[in-house]
Amino acid sequence: MGKKQKQKEKVILPPELPPEVPEDEVSVSDEDVDFLAENRAYAAFVSRLDTQSIDKQVTRVANAKEDDLEALYERRLRKKALEKDEDKGLEVDRVDALPVKSLDGKLYYRTVPKAEKKPENGHKEGDTEEDEDGNDGNKGIVKLTKAERRAKLKKKRKEEKQQAKEQTETEEEKQDPQAKILAEVKEDLTVEEIAEVKRQKMAELGTALLNDPESNIKSLKELLKFCKDEDKTITQAALLSCLVVFKDIIPGYRIRLPTEKEREMKVSKFVKKMRFFESTLLSSYKAYLQRLLTLQHNSGFHRVVVRCLCTLLDAHPHFNFRENLLPAVVRNLNSSDEVTRLAFSRPENTLAFSQTLCSSLSMAISATNLHFRLQPQISRYESPFLFLLCCEFFFPSSSSVVSALFVAFRLPFGCCSCFFSSSFSCSAMSVGHGGVFGHLSLSLLPPLLSGAWLIANVVKIHECELHPDTIEVFLSLAFDEDLGRSENKDDDNKGKHKKNKKRKNSNEQIQPVISDKKRSKQELVSKTREEVNADYKAASSAQDVVERRRLQSETLSFVFNTYFRVLKHATQLAASRPKQNSTSSGGALGSHPLLSPCLKGVGMFAHLIDLDFMADLMKHLKILASGGSNVGNSGSPLTVSERIECCIVAFKVMRKNLDALNVDLQDFFIQLYNLIIEYRPGRDHGEVLAEALKIILCDDRQHDMQRAAAFIKRLATSSLCFGSAEAMAALVTVKNLLQKNVKCRYMLENDVGGGSLSGSVVKYQPYSSDPHLSGALAAVLWELNLLAKHYHPAISTMASSISKMTATPNQVYLPTISPQQAFKEFALERESFNIKNDTKKLSHKRKRGNSTLAVATKLPLGLDEDGLRKKLADHFTVVRDIVENEKLRRELDLTTMSLQLHEDYKKQRRTGLGMSKQKQRKHS
Amino acid sequence: MRTLDEQETTVVFEKLYKFVGNNLKNIVENPSHEGPDPNPGRYCFRLQKNRVYYVSESLVKRATNVSREKLVSLGIQVGKFTHHGNFHLTVHALSLLAPNAKHKVWLKPTSEMSFLYGNPVLKAHLGRITEDINSGDGIVVYSMSDVPLGFGIATKSTKDCRKSDPNSMVVIHQADIGEGFMIDDGFVEFGTSVYV
Repeated sequence: MGKKQKQKEKVILPPELPPEVPEDEVSVSDEDVDFLAENRAYAAFVSRLDTQSIDKQVTRVANAKEDDLEALYERRLRKKALEKDEDKGLEVDRVDALPVKSLDGKLYYRTVPKAEKKPENGHKEGDTEEDEDGNDGNKGIVKLTKAERRAKLKKKRKEEKQQAKEQTETEEEKQDPQAKILAEVKEDLTVEEIAEVKRQKMAELGTALLNDPESNIKSLKELLKFCKDEDKTITQAALLSCLVVFKDIIPGYRIRLPTEKEREMKVSKFVKKMRFFESTLLSSYKAYLQRLLTLQHNSGFHRVVVRCLCTLLDAHPHFNFRENLLPAVVRNLNSSDEVTRLAFSRPENTLAFSQTLCSSLSMAISATNLHFRLQPQISRYESPFLFLLCCEFFFPSSSSVVSALFVAFRLPFGCCSCFFSSSFSCSAMSVGHGGVFGHLSLSLLPPLLSGAWLIANVVKIHECELHPDTIEVFLSLAFDEDLGRSENKDDDNKGKHKKNKKRKNSNEQIQPVISDKKRSKQELVSKTREEVNADYKAASSAQDVVERRRLQSETLSFVFNTYFRVLKHATQLAASRPKQNSTSSGGALGSHPLLSPCLKGVGMFAHLIDLDFMADLMKHLKILASGGSNVGNSGSPLTVSERIECCIVAFKVMRKNLDALNVDLQDFFIQLYNLIIEYRPGRDHGEVLAEALKIILCDDRQHDMQRAAAFIKRLATSSLCFGSAEAMAALVTVKNLLQKNVKCRYMLENDVGGGSLSGSVVKYQPYSSDPHLSGALAAVLWELNLLAKHYHPAISTMASSISKMTATPNQVYLPTISPQQAFKEFALERESFNIKNDTKKLSHKRKRGNSTLAVATKLPLGLDEDGLRKKLADHFTVVRDIVENEKLRRELDLTTMSLQLHEDYKKQRRTGLGMSKQKQRKHS
Repeated sequence: MRTLDEQETTVVFEKLYKFVGNNLKNIVENPSHEGPDPNPGRYCFRLQKNRVYYVSESLVKRATNVSREKLVSLGIQVGKFTHHGNFHLTVHALSLLAPNAKHKVWLKPTSEMSFLYGNPVLKAHLGRITEDINSGDGIVVYSMSDVPLGFGIATKSTKDCRKSDPNSMVVIHQADIGEGFMIDDGFVEFGTSVYV
């Protein structure tokens, strides 16, 4: 009892504060602790004691107005009294009032008023609601250990301290104003506090749920209550915390509520608990979703809701109610886009909204993906519509969608078609027609095909005048080549099964004595097994292999149909172009916008092309590679890089299809041979040339000797006028060819004619269009000598290393880099390459008039500005000197001339005088 | 020795065209540096004793000095006319066809000998084949080291080649450089008895 009294004293004391003793220094005897542990309820109020805040209030109050002070004092007194009452009540109830014994034999103490009082207390004090709840809960459920309790106490004190501080701080600011304002502030404070309390409550509930969802599932409902809070921020926070909780606790299966029958059955405790958990989860999830859907149209919550929906869908696409989620998300695609459209006028919002947009798009993608996995039958018709829907709204930013689609294309095959359809609608609408057409057709075809089919149609309608993105989408397709194989395996298995069955049958035949009962039982078993199998098939997400294969092949056929159409169109155009040369040239995307993605696609899917198409394909490629110049050479509409690309594709197609037969693509070699001359470093793409050199010349194992020599010679010659990157690529190729073809190394000898190797053509003909007839073996690679003096050190070393190769056949060379790599390296280096060392040499080499120009053009590359400035200054001083010199000289001339004239004049005068004198003498 | 008449010319050119395609122009217009003449002359086709020769003009001038009966051979023999009036190419034409050939086949080293013994080229023998061959085209056969071995007629297009089994015939043998050793018959008869 002494302990209690002590506590009482402490409670009553406030006016004459006891000296502050730090918590740690208070020594508590073991007895006391035990006592407390036993009668925890007695010490409950201690937790709510806040000595420090009391101190502060007291000290502060001295400066405040009298009324306030009084009011505060009264209030505190009342509080204390109430607490005392409570304490007393407890005591009194126990000691004085007799407990009531019910019929069950339980004892009821009069504790009811206390329970009622407490919440009031809480409100008045502004104390934390959840603390009480937590205490109550703890009282009921577990007894805390000493250490835990202490920790808790400490924590609470700290929290309260903080709160008190906040209070005092804010109140101190507004000391002087009237009481009204003070009251308002207090109201605000309470609102804030409540919010804070709620937030803490939510956090606690959330963590509890996450710690042990099964036992704390009830608190989910409490958590949900917060979602209906009036405060916007609280609601948002509640929504988000609910999201986190749901995301974590939703199980990996779909919950099926027990039927009536099942409910009636007797189940174990564990199952009961499980069922309870599931049903609560489901109901609260439903409530949550409903809340989300109602809030969805509220502009304030829009983004939160979208985020919640998307995250839920992403995290648990399998769970119940996803059919409600999906349309919601799709609808949000729409609305968020509208927001974006508006937002574009306000640039500061654009980023945030586009993020939402992207997230929702990706969600939708995952949604359809899921759809495909789960309900192949339904989704086949649904999802394209969804996507069309999306795309229509995305239409203004179609290019971004297309780029997003590329990312999304890494998804399984079934999904891809959606993106086709979407990209289709983009393209269709961007062109202006054909949209309706697409809508109609979508409902008729399975989406797998529809995308490809639609693109094919669009291309057909618009006669290949579309944005390249339309076709580039195909590149992201992934065709599963193993489908056929697995099917074959299945066949094998079936065969085996059959064999087994036969064996079994034969066994049965050997032992035909089976009773009817047994047979019927067996039949029953087999029947049920079949049923189960059928169910499994229907339920399993895997699509039928045969069906998938069929769809895949059809899609493929559409894809190639498109490609061939583009190629054919290009060839026709190429053939007809020379006639209407001037009229239809131009256009932003070039004359064949679809050609380059088409070629890329053909190269990529080359291994899937039917052999029957091959001949046609090659024919068209050949025409294209020759630039459609079969009719006449005038004005081929294809650029050089496009034509080189054609050659590359032809080689790729051949390589990928024929491992057994080594086909020599002579025509394409000839084309490339001619294209090397037409290549211009600035105009055409160097990467394409490098790729061609790599694929056509370096990858081939064997070459005609003549052809190889011709290519070597031509590459060496043209590398003289290429940029450094292209020249490097060419030289790498030359080296490669020389390594492979030992006999071509005779070209390195300083001996014109080539001896017996040169064949029928004795003299090298540099302009011959056929490498076989160029007689390159009779030539000498004198270019290497020049290249060894190249301004770029790498090229000069490369050239000299090539020229050091000898004709001895057993030299072994290490494999070098590919021309593509070389090109890339040097194209990068070109930007940073410093040629300051060579400026002098260059200026020496070139004529005087050009040298300044050359230096001026190269100046941005060279960084030696000061030196240059000096040089320029020198130059100009010299020039000025010359000019001055000339002026002086002219003056000198003038003066000398005038002097001379003067002299002459003098002479004349003298002579004149002399004459007159003589005359005078004569006269005299 | 006389020039070919129109009919003979078409027959010869058609035959050559099968092998060299548009490169026939190169064969006809090829400048010759033979002889002491300062201006390069041309090559022309001459018929002598049913055999067609590819001769430089300067040589033709000089060969007129020799009587028809005494003239055994001149220039490069291209082929010969049979009694039926058909034209057959002989091995000697290989030096003319090889540099200008349009359709080529490269043989694996193991199967070279088989071809040189007069056997047709099977698919299994192919080391490489030019694309775009149609059946009936003339094909020049090379070894893998680019030595021309002979020529023949394609029985299959390149496309069909892919599908056919390895033992199917691809090129019918017409002439090869092994004939000189097979038929020990002296220089003039070299290559002729195959077709007689």
